[in-house]
Amino acid sequence: MAQISTNEFKAGIRVIVEGQPYTIVSNEFVKPGKGQSFNRVRIKHLLTGRTIEKTFKSGDKLELAEVVDTKMRLLYKDQNGIVFMDDVTFEQHIVPLEVVKDVDQWLMDDLVYEVIFYNGEPVVIEPPTFMEMIVVETDPGDRGNTASGRVLKPAVTNSGAKIQIPIFVEQGEKIKVDTRTGEYVSRIQ
Amino acid sequence: MLSQKIPILRDRAEMFSQARQFFKERHVCEVDCPILSAAASIDSNIELIPAQPHSGTRYMHSSPEYSMKRLLAAGMGNIFQLSHVFRNGEQGQRHNPEFTMAEWYRLGFSFLQMVEETVQFIQLFLGNLPTQSLSYRELFQHYMSFDYLTISLEDLLKLLDIWKIERYPAIETEGKDALLNLILGTVIEPQLGTEGLFVLTHYPASQAALSKTCLRGEESVGERFEIYYKGIELANGYHELTDAAEQRTRLMQANADRLKNDKPALPIDENFLHALGQGMPDCAGVAVGFDRLMMLRHHQKQISAVIPFAWEEA
Repeated sequence: MAQISTNEFKAGIRVIVEGQPYTIVSNEFVKPGKGQSFNRVRIKHLLTGRTIEKTFKSGDKLELAEVVDTKMRLLYKDQNGIVFMDDVTFEQHIVPLEVVKDVDQWLMDDLVYEVIFYNGEPVVIEPPTFMEMIVVETDPGDRGNTASGRVLKPAVTNSGAKIQIPIFVEQGEKIKVDTRTGEYVSRIQ
Repeated sequence: MLSQKIPILRDRAEMFSQARQFFKERHVCEVDCPILSAAASIDSNIELIPAQPHSGTRYMHSSPEYSMKRLLAAGMGNIFQLSHVFRNGEQGQRHNPEFTMAEWYRLGFSFLQMVEETVQFIQLFLGNLPTQSLSYRELFQHYMSFDYLTISLEDLLKLLDIWKIERYPAIETEGKDALLNLILGTVIEPQLGTEGLFVLTHYPASQAALSKTCLRGEESVGERFEIYYKGIELANGYHELTDAAEQRTRLMQANADRLKNDKPALPIDENFLHALGQGMPDCAGVAVGFDRLMMLRHHQKQISAVIPFAWEEA
């Protein structure tokens, strides 16, 4: 198994810690005075997304996780899962529904997503940071409400996402959404 | 990007010049001891970068200390060196494996005089700052509410668990000093020097490095100090050990520690020990990180912002 030493730890590198796959978020080298140096490393669990901090003695090694990031186009959804295709090799993969979880709200046919494979199995789907979508359901904007400071209203988009949009945005309009926060960014003319 | 660094690099040149002026005013003579030497500085936790010349191995110095002490023993008087030094693997926001150090020695200076002059040197870069001082023992009592001298290894491990301080694997086999070092690095250091300069003095004798040791009541301490500002370690100084036999024992102990930690033992600098044997005058000395002073002077978080080319760019 390929290994990596603390001096080579960089954000984005995937490692195995206590048998689990993590992505390195940050790496801080600490050396008090004449003492043993160590590294304080923030790592994010590849599957749960939970971030933890671990301490390693400088020079210690970790096993690299066998993780492959592939850009894949979403073909269609069915009962077994989501079918993706690699645009280059035309290889198709079914991503099981239990992997999809809350990403489901951002899934739309014929868009390219990042599919992350761990030990050959698809484990995470990452939507583009910003996505364009259409408001398919929302109440007409009630301008009288702005006085009370309430300037957002609930809406549903064509991807199925339930988000908050400004009251001036109407049903059928195209908008840009930040998928990290689920927040409305702007209207697209 | 690089062009934005030019004002800092110009100021760096100015500070080299002011540092030299500082020493000139105090009649401290500049020396330029070699970077490469056949024997090496031996420290349990400092890794050297070896060089491969036409014959044998040479080592890039991690500090010009041994060479400078040979000059002191030969009667050169007060001396300083401003040079690049090298420490393998020390890389991070505040560390570059090649960095610049100001190191100087003062004959007849007491420990406290050395602290005072080091503070003056730091203030040359950072302006007047209030200074606070605690001994290593007081530090742990103040910040962690335990006495490092009397606490057992087991109780220390329990406290780490209670405080949820993450330990690296097998640290308990390295003993109490390793645990104290972890607490210092993760919990205490970030809090040091938030109000001004912080001087940490009188390290446990087991961490004396190259300082003279003495008894403070029941506690055996090294006359060693470090100075911090905004959580960053800037200086490490000693009332210097002058006893050749004791020095040999410590070098051998450092080599034994290295072997225990699967690191290679290093050749002992017999020239250095011989010089001590001839008689080194009573003196104090200090090494100050020049790049870190520049970082703080320019409010930079990364050492790479104040040196022309950092490790990965060089």
